[in-house]
Amino acid sequence: MNIPSPLIPASSQARDLDQLFQVVLIISVAIFLVVAGLVIYNAFRYRQRPGDALPKQDHGNHRLEIAWTIVPLIIVTVMFLLSVRTMHLVDPLPLDRKPDIDIVAHQWWWEAHYPATGAVTANEIHIPAGKKLLFRITSADVVHDFWVPQLAQKIDAVPGQMNVAWISADRPGVYLGACAEYCGAEHAWMRVRVVAQPQAEFERWQQHQLRLPAAPTSEQASRGFHVFMNRPCSNCHRIAGTPAQGRIGPDLTHLGSRKTLAAGVLANNPGNLAAWVTVPQQYKPGSNMPNFQFDPQQLKDLIAYLKELK
Amino acid sequence: MMDKNRMAMLLFIASETIFFAMLVIAFAFFHSSAAAGGGEPFGVLHPLKTGFYSICLFSSSFSVWRAGIHLPANRRRGGFWLLATIVLGVVFLAGQGLEYRELLLQNITISRSLFGTTFFTLTGFHGLHVFIGLILLAILWVLAVFGRDGEPMPTATESVSLYWHFVDIVWVVIFAVVYLWANR
Amino acid sequence: MNPELQASAPPRSILTIPEYRGLLSWVSSVDHKQIGIMYLLGALFFFVFALTEALLIRAQLAVPENTLLSPELYNQIFTMHGTTMVFLVGMPLILGLSVYFTPLMIGARDMAFPRLNAFGFWVFLFGGFLLYFSFLAGSAPLAGWFAYAPLNEKAYLFNTGQDYWVIALLLTGAGTIATAINIIVTVFTLRAPGMTFQRLPLFVWMTMINAFLMLFAMPALNTALVMLFADRQLDALFFQTGQGGSALLWRHYFWFFGHPEVYILILPVFGIISEVIPVFSRKPIYGYGFLAGSTVAIAFLSFAVWAHHMFATGLGLPVYYVFAGASMLIAVPTGIKIFNWIATMWGGSIRFTTSMLFATAFLIQFTIGGLSGVAFAAVPIDWQLTDSYFVVAHFHYTLLGGMLFGIIAGIYYWYPKMTGRMLSEKWGRIHFWLMVVGFNGTFFVMHLMGLFGMPRRVFTYPADMPYLGSMNLLSSCSALVLVLSLLIFIGNLAVSLYRGEPAGDNPWEGWSLEWATASPPPPENFERVPRIRNRRPLWDRQHPDQPESPLEAGHGAGEVLS
Repeated sequence: MNIPSPLIPASSQARDLDQLFQVVLIISVAIFLVVAGLVIYNAFRYRQRPGDALPKQDHGNHRLEIAWTIVPLIIVTVMFLLSVRTMHLVDPLPLDRKPDIDIVAHQWWWEAHYPATGAVTANEIHIPAGKKLLFRITSADVVHDFWVPQLAQKIDAVPGQMNVAWISADRPGVYLGACAEYCGAEHAWMRVRVVAQPQAEFERWQQHQLRLPAAPTSEQASRGFHVFMNRPCSNCHRIAGTPAQGRIGPDLTHLGSRKTLAAGVLANNPGNLAAWVTVPQQYKPGSNMPNFQFDPQQLKDLIAYLKELK
Repeated sequence: MMDKNRMAMLLFIASETIFFAMLVIAFAFFHSSAAAGGGEPFGVLHPLKTGFYSICLFSSSFSVWRAGIHLPANRRRGGFWLLATIVLGVVFLAGQGLEYRELLLQNITISRSLFGTTFFTLTGFHGLHVFIGLILLAILWVLAVFGRDGEPMPTATESVSLYWHFVDIVWVVIFAVVYLWANR
Repeated sequence: MNPELQASAPPRSILTIPEYRGLLSWVSSVDHKQIGIMYLLGALFFFVFALTEALLIRAQLAVPENTLLSPELYNQIFTMHGTTMVFLVGMPLILGLSVYFTPLMIGARDMAFPRLNAFGFWVFLFGGFLLYFSFLAGSAPLAGWFAYAPLNEKAYLFNTGQDYWVIALLLTGAGTIATAINIIVTVFTLRAPGMTFQRLPLFVWMTMINAFLMLFAMPALNTALVMLFADRQLDALFFQTGQGGSALLWRHYFWFFGHPEVYILILPVFGIISEVIPVFSRKPIYGYGFLAGSTVAIAFLSFAVWAHHMFATGLGLPVYYVFAGASMLIAVPTGIKIFNWIATMWGGSIRFTTSMLFATAFLIQFTIGGLSGVAFAAVPIDWQLTDSYFVVAHFHYTLLGGMLFGIIAGIYYWYPKMTGRMLSEKWGRIHFWLMVVGFNGTFFVMHLMGLFGMPRRVFTYPADMPYLGSMNLLSSCSALVLVLSLLIFIGNLAVSLYRGEPAGDNPWEGWSLEWATASPPPPENFERVPRIRNRRPLWDRQHPDQPESPLEAGHGAGEVLS
């Protein structure tokens, strides 16, 4: 599996960021070795020995001071210029380009829209591999931060403000990320999954997202449909093509095709789904979804319906 | 070397300057962003009316200066000028109070709009500082009238005067920014 | 002091001075020495809480998806850990040593405003109590020690913990401003005859510059706090983003305070190091002028870098250039200091007392922290690593590895002066080595945790993220070693009060004025202040064959300054 590490870049921006890091790391290690080396050398060489005379009372040396002012100045100037270069590579101005993805951060999940097609999803964001995309991000409540280290820089999701950043993935795969700005109780479980797919597969996925879910096939699923519509579920959640048009919680139209639930807390399988729907507060205490009471048959029906929302 | 009380007061004033500067910046920031977006009810203030009360406050700087000249030698005259300063300060606060009342009657409160939020916070803290200044001046006055020979000591009068001038200068800035610049 | 009298008198200690006997003498004291000690004891008191909170954090994070602490409790604990360490441990340690030693080192009898000094202490103490009372009032604050908006608003955090946080910080902030004014006026007006600014001990110089930083930084925090309080209590709109308020305004205002604040925490420690290293190397401080001047440079620059905490907020490249440039620049005066301290050791005759051990570790550890800080000044690196455990590593290296190690060096150095007793060198060494191992074990690996994608301020992390589990476990186990070392230190402090060797006036053969009086100093500090002719007032007395020049060799020597 991919490790969400900036040291394992999987896009051109992440590579540029990593390169700068390597350079700064080498410079820093060199400086550290000099400093630590001198300190340790001093500690051993100039340790007081019995019979030591009073050392020369040296007060300073102007030339030396200037030297060790100028050299660090040069080093930081170099690092600054390298940074400026990388900043331009990683974060060029979007100019007139329209964003490819609109992300809205919520406590504690991610909402994603694709303006070109109108597709909507949550937490699991698909992108076409090999293309540089512009995404726009804001927040519906507090400040969050979108961080997928292998693919892009971090960028804050600030309420009342639109930020933009570039994202791309060299190769198809699943790339993990997380919210990186403390946003309340479940900040730790606001994880991001970016799924990069070959262009054709991505387009198929987008079309699939737009498709309305098929009517429930089995009787159990039909009953489940009614459970969903009659319980408060529809107050918060949306399922395209149904009376459920709530926009407070994640869009569930294609819930069945996602790999995880609740922004990464649980793997998406029927058992977990049943558990999540009944006692979400046990898995993500503080999240905005309250615990529910279902009688066992209702619960089975509901899960049967939700499973079909692929 | 400067008298220690005077130095302490100047340092305190330097610190308070930062505090007021940041409140003014917040006011100006929200005003420009709101004005750009439109829709904020600026333009509800009366610079002329408030100008009158401001002149009272500015005059009180003159009167506290006169008080400093006469104290502690001529405590009667000094006491008179202190009292004048206090009265002028009270008039200013009363004027502020009337202005607040008018705004509140128009439903402009600290929570209804960004103008209300920034205006009341900024002028409110200034008013609080004026009020504290009035207490300090009152203490000086009591010492001038009821105290011993040589009281209030020049170091005390000077320090309080510095504080009072500061409060005045802050009002100059607030008046210029809030009543003139932002009220266009 | 008459040596015969000294030999026959009972060992002088803080416990035997008649004026300091009894609780009332301490509670009502306006003596800077008692107030200084009370600050240190207050810091110690809150340190115990903050350490407990740290242990709870490390226990929760030791294994992935741990259920030891609920997210809500964890969030309160990490908020309180940060707030306590910065405001109720770091600040009082700095203020305590500053008010204790500034008057002594300039030959004064007390601070310029003794009652204001007491005010500063008590308001800090009660502010601290108020903050901790929040636990009993329903919930401690849980928005982090920096409480970003709009999370800090009533809409998201409606319990009163956040309000306690605001009021407690307003109180401690008021005390800090008062003490800052006090320090500046003291240094300006109460110096002994002959002690020009150029002859100030570097601890005093840096403490004084630090006081200016406090004077200008604390009001910024106060502004942000009153605006937040207005929002929470009066429904004002400063940070209510839904109604036109600005989340970023809080961040600008908080960090305009917050960045100078971290320099406030470290500058006096630079001063301590500048006192300790020369004495134990038996050489004068190298490059006095540059150390003093670089302090002023740092003070000015510290107000120009705040937005480096906001590189990921979308402020735009032009803004980032300015702050990145300033942040890179501020590394230079700090580097100058490190080189000067190393040069002080070079060619010296070094006694590795426990104090010197801590000062030496400071040099290496603070450099690590400084280098990771410079990495963050490179904006693109910040774009990956800010808000990750890499930054947690950075500030613990500077604050714990730097500030705390430096303060401890100062305590081992000055405990004899404050109490009249020596700390145990044997237990000091054990403390030192355990602390070096424990500290580095706990925090070095956090650099890697950040590089492996672990964000900060999280109450747990997924079990399927490779390496995070083992790294966190290593960190948590080392934390136990770190805490053990600190318990040994606290034990040493307590036991040495009664069993420590009597210290005498000048156990370390130091040269600054605090060593020219008894240990502990009598209430009036000095029976007689020697006339100051150079930077090391006691040097000539100790080395009559090698008198010190009026300023220093090669600089203004030959002038006879009155």
